[in-house]
Amino acid sequence: MSDQDYQYIENPLHVTRREFMTITGIVAAFLALPAIWIRSLASSNNDYINARTKNLYQDDIQSKIRVSHANKSVARYYTEFGGKPLSHLSEELLHTKYINRTKALS
Amino acid sequence: MNMNTRTYQKGEIPGVIAIQASECKGCDACKRHCPTGAITGMFGATHSIDVDLCLSCGQCLVNCPFGAPYETSDAVDTVIAKLGDKSVTVVGIIAPAVRVAIGEEFGMPVGSLVTGKLYGAMKKAGIEIFDNNFTADLTIMEEGSEFILRARHAVFGEKSENGEPIGPLPQFTSCCPAWVRFVETQCPSLIPHLSSAKSPQQMAGAVAKTYGAKVWGKTAEKIYTVGIMPCTAKKFEASRPEFKSAFEYQKHIAKTNGESYPDVDVVLTTRDLARLFKKMKIDLAKEQDYTPEILFAEYSGAGTIFGNTGGVMEAAVRTAYAVITGGELANIEFKPVRGLKGVKSASVTLKDSQYNKEVTLNLAVVHGIARNLKPVIDQVLAGTSPYHFIEVMNCPAGCINGGGQPIQQTGSSWIDAVRPWFAWK
Amino acid sequence: MHSENMILKHPLSVRIFHYLLVISFLPLALTGLILFFKPFSEGAMNLTMRIHIAAGILLTLDALSFFMIGYKRVVLFLSRVFSVSGNDFKWFAVLGGYPQKLLLHKKIPVPPMGKYNSGQKLFGVCVFIGGVILIFTGLALWAFPHNLPRGTVALMGHLHTIAAWALTLFLCVHVFLGIYMFDDFKAMFLHGRIPYDEAKEMAPLWVEKEIVVINKK
Repeated sequence: MSDQDYQYIENPLHVTRREFMTITGIVAAFLALPAIWIRSLASSNNDYINARTKNLYQDDIQSKIRVSHANKSVARYYTEFGGKPLSHLSEELLHTKYINRTKALS
Repeated sequence: MNMNTRTYQKGEIPGVIAIQASECKGCDACKRHCPTGAITGMFGATHSIDVDLCLSCGQCLVNCPFGAPYETSDAVDTVIAKLGDKSVTVVGIIAPAVRVAIGEEFGMPVGSLVTGKLYGAMKKAGIEIFDNNFTADLTIMEEGSEFILRARHAVFGEKSENGEPIGPLPQFTSCCPAWVRFVETQCPSLIPHLSSAKSPQQMAGAVAKTYGAKVWGKTAEKIYTVGIMPCTAKKFEASRPEFKSAFEYQKHIAKTNGESYPDVDVVLTTRDLARLFKKMKIDLAKEQDYTPEILFAEYSGAGTIFGNTGGVMEAAVRTAYAVITGGELANIEFKPVRGLKGVKSASVTLKDSQYNKEVTLNLAVVHGIARNLKPVIDQVLAGTSPYHFIEVMNCPAGCINGGGQPIQQTGSSWIDAVRPWFAWK
Repeated sequence: MHSENMILKHPLSVRIFHYLLVISFLPLALTGLILFFKPFSEGAMNLTMRIHIAAGILLTLDALSFFMIGYKRVVLFLSRVFSVSGNDFKWFAVLGGYPQKLLLHKKIPVPPMGKYNSGQKLFGVCVFIGGVILIFTGLALWAFPHNLPRGTVALMGHLHTIAAWALTLFLCVHVFLGIYMFDDFKAMFLHGRIPYDEAKEMAPLWVEKEIVVINKK
């Protein structure tokens, strides 16, 4: 592609320093803004989890009784029916055994 | 769904979760949330679930951006039909995590605590209220006593009252059915470490059809128990054939000889219950707060926090401390086990009043087992675990972020800084 | 060609950029369609996805490096395609005279155009905006679908699909007309030069205002 193959060219573009800075600024904004947006989305990723967690702890705070051994209904269950923890009836109804599923079943 | 499954007992639901090929883009997001690598299919190709590896935890379902995984079992219409049967008492067993999420399906702010409205909606639907927080307290009594026995046996050589063998330390919690199935399918040598206590849901079913039958004045056969859970694995759990303790009890006590029935008949997820209410034209958001008078709705703050990671441990500490030392914890909010860190650990030093000696209990809490479990169980398998009691919840952040919860488009279960994953295979 | 005067329309940097664009976008469009319709088996879909990603990386690098190496050309290009005038609406009213030329073999008067005619400007805008969307959403869908809020990933999936379909369909027009205007085809794919007379007819405003004679020794 030697020079005599074409006789005309486009007017070369002259970018002043100010224009260059402006363009760089716009490009930087173009790249940075989505990155910032992604960042903020990712950081709010767990907001719904935190809201549910916090409100469940709030349910604890506003409970009149906050320890299991003070639950009068549970105590009533034991006196009227269950006996006491780890009793024979507890073993029957409230405890279980597990299965080694790596031995082929089914 | 595979017909030839290898890790399911007869009667269990194989494949609670499946993937619609038409929606799947093969983006691999689900694989990064799956605790067992149960999702097959190369990157870019449609994926499917290997039910023999799957725990039914539903994390793939709540996290897929394209809604490809779906639940294969839907009991909403069955329950509505039962509600129409006047001879049947439909009992709804509500998990703690449901009360901070179901409002979202009715336009309420994310995480709203709506216990009163939930009770009101259930009453309107004709569902007898059985709060699983009551059973959570019951679980603490059983599992806490079991832990204290194991600990005193390990430290002081105490024997069990009935001469039964005592399990080893560390003790793992057993309320999470995905975790239990994980142990059963991936590392069954850990089975002796699992607490023998059932999950609160299963205890509730057994209690409802025995003690509950007395309280309500109904026959066990006419009680239809519905687990209302933030969890899809609970559908699998309820289908486990060994969970018919109430039937066995009634057969033994009352010499009844009918067909067997499960402790928990069906399970509805939080999403399912919301759909049920909507089908019955009940708007939970507009319900007045209702406080049921039944004993099965009484619960402590310790029971309600079961839905959060660290909640079971904190509840256990509050009671174990009291039982062992004879006094109450000065500050019952046990903060070291709270929060979203993958593995949390804490120590409690206390004086055993029965043996008059000081002991230090080392506790650990694991959640989001897809990314956090391995180092903890590797230690236990190697015999080098420093812990005595370990709470494990499959789902990141615990049950409040379970596979059955309302789907929040504003987030995902990924707990951590941004981490790119350049899939290729 | 020795007697005709030639204008250098596309310098080498532009042509290289365009070659790379061609060899990356065509596989992207084809594999994209395959990924959309999912007609193949697992291994084939995985290979399709790998090609899609590799071509996407190539496209992104091509765009970024051209921006850095040939930013003046980029600035010129963008300032041209984003300039609108009344002539553009008049041009679209007759569709640039192309249907008449192609189907009726008739030449009709068309408003005077610059370096890019109105249709090309529209295509340039679509390529720029669509390309940015595709690159950005493509990266998010590849590396972050587990990490971002699921609603956001779903939205990005939709944007990616819409931009991909728009560009792929518009590309068909671009390829057809690009080959039909054979002098321009040779300029972009071979030597970068178009005949002065051709340019004067198709892009009179460009020739009037922006072309200069180069001094010869």
